[in-house]
Amino acid sequence: MKRFWRIVSKSLREQIRNYWIMILGVSMAPFFVAIYFLIIEASKPHYDILILNKDKGAVDFFGPVNYGRILCDSAVHFSMDTMSIPLSIKTANDHQQALDQLRSKQSDALIILPENFSQELIKLRYDLNAPPVKIELVGDLTDMYYMVSAIWAGEIMNAFICESSGRPYPIEVTETSLGISGTMSDFDMVVPGLLILSVIMLMFSATIAFVAEVENKTIIRLKLSKLKTIEFLSGVSVIQILLGVVSILLTLATAILLGFHFAGSIWTVLLVAILTSISIIAFSLILGAATKTVNEILVLGNFPLFLFMFFTGAAFPIEGKPMFFLMGYPVSIQGFMSPTHAISALKKVMILNMEFRDILPEIFAILILTVIYFAIGLFAFGKRHMQLK
Amino acid sequence: MHLNKGHENKEVYIHVSNLVKKFGNFNAVDRISFSVFKGEIFGLLGPNGAGKTTTIRMLCGLLSKTDGDIKINGSSVRSEKALTNLIGLCPQENIHWDKLTCIEQLQFMGSMYNLKEDNLSDRSNELLQLLGLADKKNVLASKLSGGMKRRLNLALALVHDPSVVVLDEPEAGLDPQSRVLIRNFIKSLAVDKTIILTTHNMDEADRMADRVAIMDHGKILLIDTPENLKKSVGEGDILELRLSRQPTEKEISTIQIPGKSMKIKTDNNILFIRSAGLTDLIPVLTEKISALGIETESITLRGNTLEDVFIQLTGKNLRQ
Repeated sequence: MKRFWRIVSKSLREQIRNYWIMILGVSMAPFFVAIYFLIIEASKPHYDILILNKDKGAVDFFGPVNYGRILCDSAVHFSMDTMSIPLSIKTANDHQQALDQLRSKQSDALIILPENFSQELIKLRYDLNAPPVKIELVGDLTDMYYMVSAIWAGEIMNAFICESSGRPYPIEVTETSLGISGTMSDFDMVVPGLLILSVIMLMFSATIAFVAEVENKTIIRLKLSKLKTIEFLSGVSVIQILLGVVSILLTLATAILLGFHFAGSIWTVLLVAILTSISIIAFSLILGAATKTVNEILVLGNFPLFLFMFFTGAAFPIEGKPMFFLMGYPVSIQGFMSPTHAISALKKVMILNMEFRDILPEIFAILILTVIYFAIGLFAFGKRHMQLK
Repeated sequence: MHLNKGHENKEVYIHVSNLVKKFGNFNAVDRISFSVFKGEIFGLLGPNGAGKTTTIRMLCGLLSKTDGDIKINGSSVRSEKALTNLIGLCPQENIHWDKLTCIEQLQFMGSMYNLKEDNLSDRSNELLQLLGLADKKNVLASKLSGGMKRRLNLALALVHDPSVVVLDEPEAGLDPQSRVLIRNFIKSLAVDKTIILTTHNMDEADRMADRVAIMDHGKILLIDTPENLKKSVGEGDILELRLSRQPTEKEISTIQIPGKSMKIKTDNNILFIRSAGLTDLIPVLTEKISALGIETESITLRGNTLEDVFIQLTGKNLRQ
């Protein structure tokens, strides 16, 4: 028993004296709770629905009427009257414009009211055998916000038509997917995230490559030779970038061999993944500046790893609502992490079948973050490990 | 400036004046000044924590100084980038890349010093040859023995052919065979290079250094040639007798031999007797000790060492 207490006391002393590791260990879970709150709760999810009214109207017993327009007005008022419901409904005037808004995430779902909407609704009221009114819903079927918006859209239309026709369940909804989102398997949906995950994992090997020179003290020799910080860091980075490219190619090849299919250009996908790997390596410099040993990397590295994995959409879909739009591009808290933009770009290319020009905002965002990471990392690494004490 | 007699005409290559290094309130190096001549082996001798390594780290530009000035060949350290080519540091620990072969390490470091590609290979092979590592040139550093790693460590310090070589405890942890090889190699370097070595091993300093600075608590206590330093302690040899017990002051006075100038001290059952012509006196002295009822367990006769100098200066030995 005495020996047991000796071990307890020794372990306690070691933990306290290794306070940095201890603080990191115990603060990790609260840190993620706070981050989750900031991203998910503080940004308050909000669902944006567009209605495109193609209804040409009809003549009811009291005269000409356009039920599509009435539905649009009441739907807009519905969202204004029920402020507690995080929903806003706007009308669209042009089909293509509405689709562009969906693709750029400015809206989550599009309701298209057909040209014969009023005629069908009138029929429904007077003819018990009339078929339900056909409504088209458009969106990214793999997107969580679309799913919630679609439920709301169904509810609103159902309520309106039900009240207007006096019939229960009076609508038939057909869903039109953006890109190939309607035909994707579960496997197809997770591959873009896994691709970026393989890039995120580079963070450890890259940081270890930088810090190994410090841990082995070989940095002393390099400092004596007056090697410049930028020469050293960029030299090590090149190999890590090559490793990243190999990792990306292997991940993609494995996925394709196992039946993964996607829309868009493979070259665009590779470009996004390579830029992201450069950005992660640039981030590794910051981690390298904060650590001196491989053990420290493994403890401290868990923080950015979890952030990148769980809050960028790499491991599972997660989206914080944009804080603001910059030239039409949504910027959220997660936007400070480059994998967020990579995931967004890959979704656009691989799921929504969008073109290279459509992901230019994401490419710029990744490049800007890479430059910021690299500048901070270069300064901090140089200051911590390459300067005179 | 510490310049001893006979050195006035030599060319001062390294000049350190009023050098200070503080870590918080602690003075690791406390206003030291010395000069090293071109082609000289200069030893910094002192116990662990004396400030030797801190001094050489400042000398190499690895550590910023709190105050003072270091000039190498007339230029202040850290003031000119070209100085990096003048200094080669062989640190106390073996610092190398485990996954590079001996030749790869040397060629890599050579290129870091901007050595030309065609000189790089020749220089690397030459160093490996001189340090007895030629047959290990393609062996990974991680596969070398401790002695070989130490030699590789030295080779890495010399790859850019510096004019000043700084060696931090060069013989630490070496087997006798490697020690001799390193010692001879360092002496051969002193033909055209200036060498500063730090050590807490008096033997190493005595055998290798042309001049020695004795350091303690961040200060230089004395600088001179090993011979002059040893002479400063006193003439004659030292007889060390390990006894079964510590003799009293009264008993020590009975050991004195009339007509002989003897200095006698005791420490932990060891009797230290300094005098000239001690060899002939050993039988008489042991007889006197035996008459006191004290048994003599061992007898050692030796000349003065730098440790004696250190003890005289500080009142403690180098290992304390």
